[in-house]
Amino acid sequence: MRIILDRPRCEGHGLCEATAPYLMHLDDAGELVLDRSEIGDTDGGDAAAARSAVRACPVAALHLA
Amino acid sequence: MPAPTSEIDLFADEVLLDPYPCYAQLRELGGVVHLPGNDIYALTRYDVIRTALADWETFSSRSIGFNPMVNEALTGTSLASDPPDHRRLRAALAENLSPRALRGVQGQIDAMADALVGGLVAQGSFDAIDALARALPLEVVADLIGFTGHVRDSMLRWGQAAMQVIGPINQRTTESFPIAGELYGWCSKVTAEDLAPGSVGRGIVDAEARGDIPAGTAGHIIHQYLGAGIDTTIAAIGNIVALFAAHPEQLDLVRKDASLVPAAFNEVQRYWAPIHAWGRLVTRDVEIDGTVVPAGSQIAILFGAGNRDPRHYENPDAFLVGRNPIDHLSFGYGPHGCAGQGLARLEAHAVIGALARRVGRLVVGEEVRVPHNITRSVAKLPVLQVVPA
Repeated sequence: MRIILDRPRCEGHGLCEATAPYLMHLDDAGELVLDRSEIGDTDGGDAAAARSAVRACPVAALHLA
Repeated sequence: MPAPTSEIDLFADEVLLDPYPCYAQLRELGGVVHLPGNDIYALTRYDVIRTALADWETFSSRSIGFNPMVNEALTGTSLASDPPDHRRLRAALAENLSPRALRGVQGQIDAMADALVGGLVAQGSFDAIDALARALPLEVVADLIGFTGHVRDSMLRWGQAAMQVIGPINQRTTESFPIAGELYGWCSKVTAEDLAPGSVGRGIVDAEARGDIPAGTAGHIIHQYLGAGIDTTIAAIGNIVALFAAHPEQLDLVRKDASLVPAAFNEVQRYWAPIHAWGRLVTRDVEIDGTVVPAGSQIAILFGAGNRDPRHYENPDAFLVGRNPIDHLSFGYGPHGCAGQGLARLEAHAVIGALARRVGRLVVGEEVRVPHNITRSVAKLPVLQVVPA
């Protein structure tokens, strides 16, 4: 699966980072950086973290494809 | 199949004071329930609400209020717009209000909350609503926007009235329209001289003068800071104090582990939603939970009902800071998710942190509530004694 960021919609609330710190982080300017966007289907832990991060985004700026 | 119906009046005094029994009743009837008395379809279950909030094409924001006058007055604001207009209006608002924009003020807000709570703990007895829940957001927003003079004194009444008029036409709405009108009038005429130099508000007005944002936008943005951001934040901070006073063992958990502060705020928001009902307009016949809601119907989203849905949260009527319900509905969700939630979080986290550091236990008297069409908050909460940390 792949994590997709709708950049104009992202406001930097950071709840995704709190949920999946190994996959994404806010940089010094408060912009979201996806450290990993391709997640292997067999990678159960990261796939679950990616789903949680998508769920946590309060403005629906993240989705999975 | 048509939706189940109920005779409940969503805006009756007793429902506004304690809506949770009514939420439970409606939620058991269905994910959507027709309330003929209010001429509204109420959304009650977690999944139904979250899906509707994400689907702006079916659930338009052209009718977020429950009377035509308020919807007319809000036309052109991001709150009451749909994409594509919404995207531009929201971006102008977020430019000044997003966590990115607010990174510089966190330290100030923490210091303000700590000084305020420190002073109150030393004082020993106080009204938690006046002295803390109202005092902090009023000061934070006034400083941020750069309000001076008489406007600072009007913020509380203006903020309460701006939410009240979102309700249906009843006595509360009718009495509040002139006050909400004062706020609207002031915002539509605001000039750079009205706002302190260096403030966010001054920056917004200057941006309009330079042509960086469309004419008329500055007044709308300042109106939203006040109209949407004051009464709701006051409710949330009052709820923090009231819930920690009633659940000292939950305060203990945060005192022992400060990393629980964000989780604690999520749970406060889930447990008591600051906003009772918020509108949408159905743009096409839509099937919800096996029933059809016809195009043109007025929707009422009951955030508090969804937040207590046992289909989504285990043991939903228990207040447990450890559950960290990060996906609670109280800030809405999706394109219209609360634009000020970053600021609300800064204030709430600062208050919870200060309480956890400085307070062992709060001994409180009886909380007083006053019915309000939209904002559910504690109006008075006497703290009789503070057992220091």
